[in-house]
Formats: sequence, structure tokens, C-alpha cells
Amino acid sequence: MSDDISVLRVRDVLLVTMPADPDDATVSALQTRTLDAMEQHDVKGLILDLSRVEILDSYFARTVAETAKMVTLMGGETFIAGMRPSVAITATELGVTLGATRTVLNVNAALDAVPRLSQKKRAGR
Amino acid sequence: MSDDDQGAVQIEVESDIAAARRVVREVATSIGFGVTETARIVTAASELGRNVYKYASKGTMHWRTLRNGEISGVELRFEDHGPGIADLDEAFQEGHSTGGGLGMGLPGAKRLMDEMEIRTSNGEGTTVTVRKWRQH
Ligand SMILES: Nc1ncnc2c1ncn2[C@@H]1O[C@H](COP(=O)(O)OP(=O)(O)O)[C@@H](O)[C@H]1O
Ligand SMILES: [Mg+2]
Repeated sequence: MSDDISVLRVRDVLLVTMPADPDDATVSALQTRTLDAMEQHDVKGLILDLSRVEILDSYFARTVAETAKMVTLMGGETFIAGMRPSVAITATELGVTLGATRTVLNVNAALDAVPRLSQKKRAGR
Repeated sequence: MSDDDQGAVQIEVESDIAAARRVVREVATSIGFGVTETARIVTAASELGRNVYKYASKGTMHWRTLRNGEISGVELRFEDHGPGIADLDEAFQEGHSTGGGLGMGLPGAKRLMDEMEIRTSNGEGTTVTVRKWRQH
């Protein structure tokens, strides 16, 4: 089933993939699972893959913004990857924003945007 | 699809909001709305369905397809018997929320749809009706 959140560690970042139409419980799990994983793995950032997402209402938007704020407090950066044009347009018309996040085309672009973090670590080894 | 296709979804538990969204997506798609128009309708339904659940604890979303000559559309009616909205002007102000929300649901849903009507009375409940017409 693709109805659930997937949380993966890729290099020094956490890759969280959201399903197409997450219910409220799944949306709130985004926050708890991300923060748990960030604590456990000592990662430097979060890539939130929204490429499957077909709807982003104000509850979802607020949870993303809150999660990003906490990631910032933990010293990380949040990338929003793969948002569909229809979803971006609708969220804008609804009047919601995703807070302290950087929007990138896809997961690869997000990974390219964080080599700085990876290099720092490698150089230290 | 016939002109008078209609149905209803009970909103009683949190997951019913997502269930209502799925029905609305199916209806909008079957009428022939495109991806972005469908996203607008489903998002408005999500906001209004959540208001029913959050402020009235339960209610119903009625849906029906519309036809006006060559133009087709969809109507969604969210009905609850909750506390009602005391001050509608305030409720439609962006950022105004009595429930710790973003306060974008009512003003946002109004923007996303073509028409919105709201009936509310203190202690008797609220009915929000929205419509979207398909552009040819
Ligand atoms: N069905 C309803 N019954 C009672 N009050 C409602 C209902 N829908 C909306 N409201 C009131 O209108 C306010 C604004 O709603 P909305 O724009 O959706 O923002 P939010 O849900 O984030 O507060 C709510 O905080 C609530 O006080
Ligand atoms: Mg609301």
C-alpha cells in the first residue's frame, strides 16, 4: 500500500514521502515520525517528497510549517520536493504557506542542494 | 452520468474528512473537471468537512451534479446541527480562528469555488453550500 508515510535516511538527510491523500492521522504522523527520526539519526535536514500528494489543505500546510520550524530549531533545513503544479496553485489560492522551507523540483534536486552538509562531514572524517 | 446524480457522506470521525474528499474527487473527475479544478474542489471540501467535524462534531456532506444548459457543475452542501457561527464577518476574516486553526478554511473555500452560500443560526447549526461550474 502507498497509503502510508515512508521515512528513509539518504546520506545526511531524511527523506519523507507522503501518500496521495493523507488523512489527519497520517498528516500528524509526519511531524512525530520526522522528529523521532531526526533525533535518532543525527541528520542535517529533511526532504519532504510531495510528488504523490494530490491535495494540501490548511491542516496539512500547518503541519508542514510546524515540522519545518522544529527541523530549523534542531539545526536542519527543510526541502519541499516535487510539489505538483495543481497542488501549488490550489494552496496559494487557499492562502496557505509552508513556512521555512525551500521548494525544489524533485528529490534529486534536493539532494544536490545539500552536498555542502555531506562534504562538511566527509572532510571531518 | 445522469443530471441528478447525488449522494451523501456522513462526517462523524476524523477519517470521514478524507472519505468525503475521495468521494468529491471521484465526482469531480467523472464530471470532467481537470486536475487543478479537481484539486480546488477537493481542497474546499476538505476545509468545510473539517469544520463540520471540528466545530459541530458531526454532520453530512451532500453532493450532486448540476447541469445548466451546456454547462455542468458540482454542488456540495455541508450540513451540521452544531453551535452555529455567531459572527459570520469575523469567521470569513483570514486568520480568524476560534479553534487554533489557520483561519483560512472559509475564506479559502470561497476563493476556490465559484459560488458559496451559508446559513447559520445560533444553537441550530450551519449549512454551507458551494458550487463549481466546468469551463468549456
Ligand atoms: N460548521 C461550523 N460550525 C460552527 N462554527 C464554524 C463552522 N465552520 C467554521 N466555524 C467558525 O468559523 C471560524 C473560521 O473557520 P475557518 O476559516 O475554517 O478557520 P479554522 O477552521 O482554521 O478556524 C472557525 O474558527 C469557527 O469559529
Ligand atoms: Mg476550518
